[in-house]
Parts: sequence; C-alpha cells; structure tokens
Amino acid sequence: MLCEHCKMREATVKYVEVINGVKTEHNLCAACAGRVDIGQYSALFEGEFPLGKLLSGLLGIQNMDQSTVRLPNVACPTCGTTYEDFVTESKFGCPDCYSVFDPLIGENIKHLQGSERHVGKHPDHIGHAVSGEKETGEKTEEPQDALTEEEKIRLLNARLKDALRREDYEEAASLRDEIHKYKEERTQDGEVV
Amino acid sequence: MEKWYEVPEKENSNVIYSRIRLVRNWKEYPFPGKMTGEQNEEMTRRLCEGLTGLGTPVYLNRMPELEKTALLERRAINRGISKKKEPSALILSEDERVGVALNGDDHIRIQILEKGLALTSCYEKADWTDDYIGERFEYSFDEKYGYLTPFPTNVGTGLRASVVVHLPMLSKKKNFNSLVADMGRFGTSVRGVYGEGGENFGSLYQISNQKTLGQTEKEIMDLVTKTAAELDAQERRLREEALKQRPLLRTDEAYKSYGVLKYARRLTRKDAMEFLSQIMAGAADGIFTLRKPCSVYGLMLGVLPANLLRQAKKPLSREELDVVRADFLRARLPEIN
Repeated sequence: MLCEHCKMREATVKYVEVINGVKTEHNLCAACAGRVDIGQYSALFEGEFPLGKLLSGLLGIQNMDQSTVRLPNVACPTCGTTYEDFVTESKFGCPDCYSVFDPLIGENIKHLQGSERHVGKHPDHIGHAVSGEKETGEKTEEPQDALTEEEKIRLLNARLKDALRREDYEEAASLRDEIHKYKEERTQDGEVV
Repeated sequence: MEKWYEVPEKENSNVIYSRIRLVRNWKEYPFPGKMTGEQNEEMTRRLCEGLTGLGTPVYLNRMPELEKTALLERRAINRGISKKKEPSALILSEDERVGVALNGDDHIRIQILEKGLALTSCYEKADWTDDYIGERFEYSFDEKYGYLTPFPTNVGTGLRASVVVHLPMLSKKKNFNSLVADMGRFGTSVRGVYGEGGENFGSLYQISNQKTLGQTEKEIMDLVTKTAAELDAQERRLREEALKQRPLLRTDEAYKSYGVLKYARRLTRKDAMEFLSQIMAGAADGIFTLRKPCSVYGLMLGVLPANLLRQAKKPLSREELDVVRADFLRARLPEIN
C-alpha cells in the first residue's frame, strides 16, 4: 500500500486514531509519519526507526506530561546527564547514572527487562590486580576475612581459572584443594545444623 | 587460515551461524558519549596496550572507509563503531571468530561467531575473553543491575545471544509475521539480516534474546537455541512436504538458480542473494550435492558491495559491480552432482 500522504513510498506506519468513538485509520510512510502530527509518537518516526528513540518513548512517555516540567533538573553529579537527556537518548552517561536515576526509571527498567535484578555472571575482580598495579600477597589476603564463604569460593575459583590459563598447575592444584576444603566445611556446617 | 564463515553448512540444517556478544565498561571512565576527547584517546590507548595478549589492535578511526564497511558486512564490527569519529579499535582473530571492539557504543564489546548451532561453545570463548579482560580492567558492575552499560536494554548480563537461520519457505507463509510476534512474547526477537527497505534478501533471519536482566547466561542461551531449533524444524518440515508434493517445482527451482549463478554475466545483489538462498536450500535438502566443500553463506558475504570493491581495488559503477559479482560467483561456485 502506498503512503496516503506522499503517494510515493510504501506505507509502513499504520496509525489508528479514535476520537469520540470514531475510528480513523491512516497508512503512512516513515518519512511522512514524522512530519504529520500524530501526537507524541511523531518523534518515533523521524528517519529510520532507531531503537533508542523507540525506547525513550517506552521509558519516558508515561511520566512525560508532568515530568517535563518537574524532572529535567535531576542530573547525574558525575557526568552531568540530566533526566531529560536520558529520556531523549535512552542512554546513560556513566555508571553512577544508574543509582541517580534509579528512583525515576527503576520501574520502567523492570517493565522493559521483566526483572529488576541481575542473576548471571559476577566479575571475579576481588583481590585481582587492576591494570598497572602489581599483585601483592597481602592485597589478596586482607579483604578475604571480610568475605562470605560463597565469595571466598568464587574468588578461589577465579584464581584457579587464572592459574590454569597460565598453566601454573602447581598453584592450580593447591587452589583446588583449598576450594575443596571450603566446600567440605560448608557441608559439614550444614549437617551440624 | 579458514575464516569462520568459510566453514561449509551442514546438510539437513537451516541454522547458519551463532553469535555471542558481551558488552562491558571500564569503571575508570564515563560511558562513551560522555568522554572528553582526551579521555577517548587515553582510554582506547590504555585498553589497546593492556590487551595485546588477545591480538594486535587496529585503530578503526584511521582505517579506510571501504575496509570498515567490509568489516561491517562480515559482522566483525557493528554500525555504531563503524561511524564513530573518536578513537576506537578492534582486536580481531585471524579466523575472525573472536572480535574485541574497544570504545564503540560500549568501552568493550566481545563477539564470538561460529558456524552452526553453537551458542554454548561461543559463550565459552566469550567467557574466557571476558575473564582475561576483567582481570586487567575493573568493570562497572552493580549488585542489582549487573554489568552497567549506557543502554538499559543491555544491562545485566550484557549478553546478546543470536542464531541466524535460513527460512526461505517459512518466511513466505502468511502467518510468519504472527509467528514472529508470538516469539516476542517468549522473549526472543526475529529480524531479517541482509536487505533494504523492508525486504530481506536471502531469507536469513536472526533470532536474539530481548532481555538481558534477570536471566542467567545459560537461560538466555537455552531460550534462543530452543527458538532457533524450533524454527529450523518448522522450515525443514515445510520443505520436506513441498519436496514430496511438488518435487518437480522444488528441484527445478534449485537447478535453475544454480544455472543462473553459474552462467550469468551480471547479477544484482538481490538476485545473487536470492539464488544463493535457493542453492542453500537445495543443498540442505539433498536435491543436489556440491562437489567441493563450499560455504554458501561465505558466498553471500562475498557478493556484498564492499567486499567486491575491495577485491576490484578500484571504484566501480553499479553496472560494473554487477559484472564483478557474477564473475565472483562463476569462479567460486563448485560443480554439482
């Protein structure tokens, strides 16, 4: 079907308007849909269909009416991204934005993702040398006392993986035994309780 | 060295390739887009220097446009980084299976590509690479939101698991669009891979996970694998049925396509892709066998414009490009039995 506006391009946007119970249907191409006034959705049809913009619509549109007046003043102190920036670009500026905007968009992220909590892989950094620094024995020992059993095992597993990668089988073997020991302790505790 | 896309397709399967993509960001810098010119320069340099163990980084912002487009056609990089003016780099393994893009839409983007249904083995490689980088550069990670990225659509695992399937017959069915919509409800999305203006040349469709938060990597991969396997099975059933009911039509279609590609003197991209798609289906269904091992998908990549222009080593008009494309296929298409 051709676009009813320009009658040149293929209509790819179907816009259904219901006013006082009267339904009208418009078939437009993306270019015309951007120009024709179809309320707050027009922005979605500028040029191609960037997911970003579509997403801004989903994330921002709910609160748009009240929030455009009230909320643009919220800004991330670290990178300066404002709530308005986020709504237009669907993009955060820095890691801190997540905690700054969490109260505003947490619910929307939950809708978008169907969840609000990460459950997958966890970085195995604890105790690892950050680039440029040298790994020292104390460095890895010290924070370990503050770790839970589970974190200790995860850390040891990470070091085991690393040792295997370096083909340092001696260290790998001792790490393996240590992990074994921790796991055994845990099951023993479990049995006592 | 054989590239990942040069591995021949398996008979009796419509799964072409699998892809794992992980995005990560370095804690020390704001996300790309909010970095200053100096930070862009410095971070890319530090990442390049710290990751030489993975391969030799190449600066994309200094690369000729045509080379970049060719990388984009082969999916070694994505559109975001290919258009970027700021310093950005790519570490690509020789077989092009493993790619680490630095300072694109995210600081670090790990991608693994493999022929066939192979998400698990792709993920193993990605996981290894991720650990290697994570030990050297501390990632932005949040206990609640997982791996932090500029886009809330990637937050959590940062994982996009994709499988590309060849669906020439299923995609022509009237209810294909509703099937695609249904899959959205289960958390996967389907999109055409090569095409323009709403057309999909070659009937290749990519199935990916929509959500990245609240599911483990394994759950995400299982979902995508299951969906891809189901689409593959449906396509296979349809084609088997078609071969049984209209054997002459199917056989003729496959041989005719082969004939055109083997003898044509000029071919548009669309025609080349469509006929290759027929050959892919013909070979998968055992209508004919290619006498030499041949990756039909590799040929599909080969007929894309940037690759042909690169080989021609000179600018070509559209018509000349069609001639070069036909030459390319005549030279490479193996004999059939």
